[in-house]
Amino acid sequence: MKVGIPKGLMYCKYHPFIVTFFSELGAEIIVSEDTNKNILDAGVKYCVDDACLPVKIFHGHIDSIKDKCDILVIPRIMQLWKNEYICPKFCGLPEMVINSFDRLPVTITEPIYATSKKKLYCWAKTSGKFLRKNNHEIKRAFVNALNAQKDHKTGIDDSGYEINITLTGHPYNIYDSFLNMNLINKINKLGMGIKTAEFTEEDILYQEAENLYKRPFWTFVREIYGFALNAAKEKKADGIIYVSSFNCGTDSVIIELIKNSLPDFPFLILKIDEHTGEAGINTRIEAFRDMLERRLFNESHISTLG
Amino acid sequence: MKATFPHLGNVYIAVKALFDGLGIDYVIPPQNSDHALNIGTKYSPEEICLPFKIMIGNYIQAIEQGADTVILTGSCGPCRFGEYCELQMNLMKSLGYNLNFIVLDMPKDIGIKELFNRLVSIGSTSTKSKFEKLKAAKLAIHVMHLIDETEALSHYLAGYERNKGECKRLLQECKTEAMKCSNPAEMLSLIKEYKKRIEYVSVDINKNPLKIALIGEIYTVIEPYSNFYIEDKLMDYGVSTKRGMTPSWWLKNMALSPVKINSLNIKKASREYLSLEIGGHARECIGEAILSYKEGFDGAIQIFPLGCMPEIVSKSILPSISRDFEFPIMSLVVDDMTGEAGYITRLEAFIDLLERRRDNVLYGS
Repeated sequence: MKVGIPKGLMYCKYHPFIVTFFSELGAEIIVSEDTNKNILDAGVKYCVDDACLPVKIFHGHIDSIKDKCDILVIPRIMQLWKNEYICPKFCGLPEMVINSFDRLPVTITEPIYATSKKKLYCWAKTSGKFLRKNNHEIKRAFVNALNAQKDHKTGIDDSGYEINITLTGHPYNIYDSFLNMNLINKINKLGMGIKTAEFTEEDILYQEAENLYKRPFWTFVREIYGFALNAAKEKKADGIIYVSSFNCGTDSVIIELIKNSLPDFPFLILKIDEHTGEAGINTRIEAFRDMLERRLFNESHISTLG
Repeated sequence: MKATFPHLGNVYIAVKALFDGLGIDYVIPPQNSDHALNIGTKYSPEEICLPFKIMIGNYIQAIEQGADTVILTGSCGPCRFGEYCELQMNLMKSLGYNLNFIVLDMPKDIGIKELFNRLVSIGSTSTKSKFEKLKAAKLAIHVMHLIDETEALSHYLAGYERNKGECKRLLQECKTEAMKCSNPAEMLSLIKEYKKRIEYVSVDINKNPLKIALIGEIYTVIEPYSNFYIEDKLMDYGVSTKRGMTPSWWLKNMALSPVKINSLNIKKASREYLSLEIGGHARECIGEAILSYKEGFDGAIQIFPLGCMPEIVSKSILPSISRDFEFPIMSLVVDDMTGEAGYITRLEAFIDLLERRRDNVLYGS
């Protein structure tokens, strides 16, 4: 049995779990290749035009493996934390995919509630049945998959740079180097160190978000907002670079919240979509670096306006 | 306290009834217009959806007339509407307005006690007795239902009427007259009377007008300014329209949702295409598309603001429904940059298409 796993969206964070789970069940895993021009083009072709870039790319990944596998895994991530969603498009992702392609193999579209082990196991149980495995085998694969996920650490925490910035945004925008045009390398090359949200404790993120009038109901609002605020407060970084995909609903809110809470902190927003020109991105990062440099070394923090 | 609230279709009529009954001072913002949108666009975040921008325009225009408290409903679905209150509070504060927000959120999120406190904080400025307050609330809900029914009726009968434009004229008149009433009971009887009058509009039952269902995002479907008065236009064209989304539907849906018996017909109809609640009203959109096909409608028009996350999901599902049922569905995206001419052209083309389908004209051959 060949199980196809598209390398889009949250794959960058949760691939150990999903790959281990299905390979432990004895399936042959077909993972789509890294994002490239063909995948992007296919995504733009098949996906509904209003969707954001990462969702389009996900469609591209589906297109590249749909004819090579017997079962296609389309993760419908409903909740990662209690009472928090990711985005409506994540909840409706399987519907978007299924209705955009003419012929697809069998799809696993069970909703994933990763709020507790028990709830996540519900997903594993129904998904495992697709491979005709019994409960015992599924349980074993599930435990192994969880362990594999535990050992896996993502995140960047550079040291030894003069200037440090926090790179924030949705993980699939940060870690997909085709989508963001090799942003991490670019920033490093300009002599800036990167810190990402994964190294900040969950408790701190919760604490920061508690100051908001309304409890955030999106995981990424809490995480990104909490991280940006915390990094600025504790002077972990000199500036924030935010990678955002055009027309992203959650980003439009997070960016406003951060801007509001950190009015005087250097903040660069990089909007990306399928037409983004690389030169423009380069110029903006370079300018941001120059600005930080002047702010840190050449000028005092007193405003020139007096 | 001088309360105000953002516009949503005919809600202002019911709110007037409510506040008149409670004896609370209030400001109804001027009807939505380009001016309101321009104000909103100037101050709002660039990428936020259209309702946010129009609402900001409403607030600022209401403040100019002396309002100091905004009453807003909230939600905790994964759609952006839930975050409106937070962003709007910050925005109004940074613009230097001292505005008090009362957000009526779902008890699931803020707790029933907090919701009760917030409701009490609205009612506390009223001098009326508890009984009178409850009576006012009941009357207001009655008004809401009645005006929605009246509107739905006139939209439906517009396709059948003998004297063109009569339904539209009566509906307009009903709304303007209702706003002149000074107490809710008077308003109620007035709307009842107009409903009767619309019921007795002379109709030609042999006519077989085009019937179009309006589906999509709740604000842009209900608020006529944001969809370029699409219902009025369709009335002019002699098309019967129906829309499931009304403020009274929303109220009922909200009230029944904790026990999960809300909109059962929609849930049933949409099960095959979208089996889960994904936030916003995507599921209702899908369900209504299928229901309107089953009710014998000729087509459906989906309207949503640019970047609306749940509706993007339903937009990608609708072509499948359209194909499976041979039911034409058009999606219209609105935002602050939409040009009206292009919008009308598409609407007219869609109506032409529906007419030709009826006559079995195939591919222009």
